[in-house]
Amino acid sequence: MPRKYLDHLFSVLFIVLLFLILFLIVRSGAEAELETEYTRVAPYLNLASLDLSEPLHRTLFSETLNIYYPETEARNDSLVELTRRYATDDFMAVQEMLRSGPGLTWSKFWSLSGMYISFIISYLLVMVLTYYGVQTLAVLRFVKEKQNLRPYLIRFVEHIQQLPPRDDKSAIAAYLQTGSKYLGLAILKGIGYLILFSPAYVLAYSFRSRFDTDTFVFMILLGAVSNGLLVMYAQRFFTFLTSESRKGYVQTAIVKNLNAAYSEIPWSTLFRFRKRFDDHILQHIYLNARYQYILTLKEQASFLITGLIIIEMALNIHGHICYELLQNVLFEQYDVVLIILLGLFLVVKATEVLVDLWMDLEAMKYENR
Amino acid sequence: MSMNYRSIYRYIAGQLPLLYAQKDKLWIAIWLAAISALWLWNRIFLNYPAFTQIQSAFLNTFLMAFLCIIFSLLLAWSTAVGLHFIPSTRAPYLLLPLTFVLNLIRSVPQILGVLIGYIGVTVLIRADMLSNRTTIIILLAFITALFVFLELVDLIRERIDHFRKLDFVNAMLCCGIKESRIINIEILWKNSLAHVLNKLIALFGVAIFLQCSVDFIVSIGLSTEVSPVNLPPTLGSMLAKIDSKQDILAIGYSLTHPTYVANLLFQHLQGITTAFLIVFTLLSMYRISIGFSRRHRL
Repeated sequence: MPRKYLDHLFSVLFIVLLFLILFLIVRSGAEAELETEYTRVAPYLNLASLDLSEPLHRTLFSETLNIYYPETEARNDSLVELTRRYATDDFMAVQEMLRSGPGLTWSKFWSLSGMYISFIISYLLVMVLTYYGVQTLAVLRFVKEKQNLRPYLIRFVEHIQQLPPRDDKSAIAAYLQTGSKYLGLAILKGIGYLILFSPAYVLAYSFRSRFDTDTFVFMILLGAVSNGLLVMYAQRFFTFLTSESRKGYVQTAIVKNLNAAYSEIPWSTLFRFRKRFDDHILQHIYLNARYQYILTLKEQASFLITGLIIIEMALNIHGHICYELLQNVLFEQYDVVLIILLGLFLVVKATEVLVDLWMDLEAMKYENR
Repeated sequence: MSMNYRSIYRYIAGQLPLLYAQKDKLWIAIWLAAISALWLWNRIFLNYPAFTQIQSAFLNTFLMAFLCIIFSLLLAWSTAVGLHFIPSTRAPYLLLPLTFVLNLIRSVPQILGVLIGYIGVTVLIRADMLSNRTTIIILLAFITALFVFLELVDLIRERIDHFRKLDFVNAMLCCGIKESRIINIEILWKNSLAHVLNKLIALFGVAIFLQCSVDFIVSIGLSTEVSPVNLPPTLGSMLAKIDSKQDILAIGYSLTHPTYVANLLFQHLQGITTAFLIVFTLLSMYRISIGFSRRHRL
């Protein structure tokens, strides 16, 4: 087995072991705490004359405790509150809590498993969308740069300097139309950039009043377009394309008459999922850039998961694993927290292993291994 | 007097193409101009308590991001150079555990790492072990740096590997120059500074993004666990305030009621300003980084 796979294996084993030990410590600690807690409140639970849902009874109980134990008033208050909780909580809920401890139960585990699968599905969908989006944006930018198309704002500035004669109405109409087109496109591009760089929570709150932002589809879209993910990795792919286009084999191919006219590339081919630019130099530049991009997917995956976690946590989307993580941190259910963290770590690790496998397969193809 | 105006105009008009050609400087100028204009606008139209809060949140966020890149630089430089020298030291076996730990950090999604760090800091605050605001800011910046510095480690190691293959390194070794000087001064300081600076610009954006996101999450999700009073206010925690969230919701409303847009700049200034500061800074950092790498042909 190659060393990198051994590294992955050892790090997974190490983390699983570490989490298991922490899990046992947290769990036994929580059980002991629960037992102590129950021992403290048990003598007061079945007093026939005491109804702790009544404020008067609670005050009486508190004052009685203060008379008998005057030096521990704060402790007495917490005991009253604890007894009230045990006495007034739903009987089944208390039984469940006593039976299984405060944190992870089997029903909770299965419920978390469902959320975890849903998280993985959304992660895979966003990954596919960003894989396509990154390459499409980068190739589009590369082709536009090769076509020497200047930015819309510059074209607008250049355009307004070329005033037509005042008496030529049709020329003025065309002048205004072209000017407004350039300006409109420049503004749209600016808004597009602001959207792509917006953190997910800013975008989601902006659109919350318009439609339901808690849907699965919205989450996927948000994961793909927000947090700057698409632009940052498109820039990286664009850098690969640019550096490839400067290499010797590209110049040789152009000298040998391979088509290098970027204006002849139909726009529709740029938007295909499986991009092919047959008989064009871009095909070779693209394939070599894509080969280098594969390893970047590891980093992209980690950042993508960061984005998804932010979306689920920041938008308080109920029934999602990262929302559960936050809630369990809040209620100090650290055994559940550990299980969720382990799950998220395993997603990143699985992606790293798969990317390495894919890279090895591609290396066999391109590097004659 | 008119001559003076004309000469100033000519000077500015002459400088503009130069500035346009150097996109990083252009975007620094745009960012500074936008922030100044926003500051002035808020000073006039935003209520004073909210204005001071945003100002302090902005300064705290930028201070933390700046400290984060300083820590990242120190951590990355020492780690990369350490990894280079460990095999030739008396303890080459340290290479394996160190690489293992670094790969482990790499596999933790950054937001989770920073979030766990923030929770740790709040536990210390609750236990009265941490109360000084400056210390808290430094600690939070260090925690963020721990989860972003690896990108810089990779870059520095790439640079060292690239230059190690060139003849000048062997030539210098033959001349009796110490390897540590060759690595630190000749390779990294003299020949890789632009690369490192470019990466630091990008990391500055990442640090702002992570801190704002964690602060937002902590402020809205863990509000009973962590009182926002304990942590220094940042743009993220400002955005999590109910007033700011209402202001952001107004953007959605104005999409279908375009006449309402003007109100965003007066009635909803707190949230709009905070969101704009985050988004525009992230965009500007990205453009500055691209401009910088083009100007230095990286």
